[in-house]
Amino acid sequence: MTQSRKYPADTMVLAVGTKRGLFLLTSSDREHWTVENTTLNSRVFYAVFDPRAGYRLFATDNGDFFGTFLRYSDDFGQTWQEPRQGIQFASESSLELKNIWYIEPGRVDEPGMIYVGTDPACLWVSSDSGETWEPNKGLLEHPTREQWGPGAGGLCLHSIVVDPSNRERMWVGISAVGCLRTDDGGKNWIFANKNTRAGFLPDPYPEFGQCIHRLLQHPTQPDVLYQQNHCGIYKSLNAGDDWIDVQSNLTSEFGFPLALDSQHPDTFYVVVEEGMGRHNIGNQFTVFRTQDAGKEWEPLTNGLPGGPNVRLGVLRHGMCTDMVDPCGVYVGTNTGQLFASNDRGDSWQLIADYLPPIYSVSAICLQ
Amino acid sequence: MPAALVIFPPALYPKTGYQSRLNVEGETINDIIEELEQRFPGIRFNLCSETGELRQFVNIFIEKENIRYLRGLETTVPAGACICILPSVAGG
Repeated sequence: MTQSRKYPADTMVLAVGTKRGLFLLTSSDREHWTVENTTLNSRVFYAVFDPRAGYRLFATDNGDFFGTFLRYSDDFGQTWQEPRQGIQFASESSLELKNIWYIEPGRVDEPGMIYVGTDPACLWVSSDSGETWEPNKGLLEHPTREQWGPGAGGLCLHSIVVDPSNRERMWVGISAVGCLRTDDGGKNWIFANKNTRAGFLPDPYPEFGQCIHRLLQHPTQPDVLYQQNHCGIYKSLNAGDDWIDVQSNLTSEFGFPLALDSQHPDTFYVVVEEGMGRHNIGNQFTVFRTQDAGKEWEPLTNGLPGGPNVRLGVLRHGMCTDMVDPCGVYVGTNTGQLFASNDRGDSWQLIADYLPPIYSVSAICLQ
Repeated sequence: MPAALVIFPPALYPKTGYQSRLNVEGETINDIIEELEQRFPGIRFNLCSETGELRQFVNIFIEKENIRYLRGLETTVPAGACICILPSVAGG
């Protein structure tokens, strides 16, 4: 797979998926940013570069009229390809693809493996860098599937965690269903929701039905997971067998995004919100950081807007970090502002405005 | 088999090799779509979901008649008919 390199090595590239297209922001110093558009103009729920072979750019093309497709580009978004055998449910399944929610490149030592999450909830797998796709039958035919109901955004599989230390183990997050784990390469899936709350259900601690919003794995401790849930923020120390509430001093249990500092693994970030309005609490847009794995949270506001008119929301994939030390943190709002910090969140700047509502941000530093 | 003139919306030009209109043979709309799928693999999924139904916001007109008010995808195609594929005008 070859492509003409547009950018020099060490360029930080942000892929920003929005309601009306995919945009790229690039920087050589994480202070000065250049915004470019791509030729993908539909609803892009998520986009990510696969660094394992040539930085192929994968993106969701969630069309309003003529169908939903996964697409990929080998020229930084100027031209796009469609898979030979794309993401389509079998006609006999009675399922219709609504949206593609998330794309996760596979393990470093499994080049070509890519995973995708969709609505209706399904894990799709490619072993040839996105040219052909198959649904994971273990989830598609889960014995409890008939009892799954959609969240407000749909029955979406929005988070995929591929364990780099164990080829047989993965986790997924499905809205209004919860976290599931496989220990046998996807053949069977068990629920991993113990001690996570579903406050909107008669039984607030069911086996499944929790509304998980985002799920990530600790960068160096593979049994440690973090999730932002509709009803709280949690960590697990045992691969999801049970969860610990780490809401602590946060001002709300509700939020969507979650991001980790890969260089300081007990540091992670959330953007908690008003549960009803789904925007910043009070008049100050705030990112929250913990540096002790959730024992205590500090508000980060230096450079973030405040005022009586500030009502900003961040969707579940709207925040990410880069792999540099000190890590960069990037937050995109559902009103089209993109904020960036190059010092682990201590200070922020607005690096793009007037974008369409931002669905996702992912970051990669070109080598 | 009768041939009809099929007019494509701009959104589908990348799939049709940027041809805006083509003569396509088929006795029903389903036949027309099948013929289009043979020429442009994957175009069926642009028009119909996995269940085979016409997508909610895709409209197909034979002359000025929307096939949804005729026999849907089984609507007969008269020889020489003009078939227009249009996205819905959907706001919000």
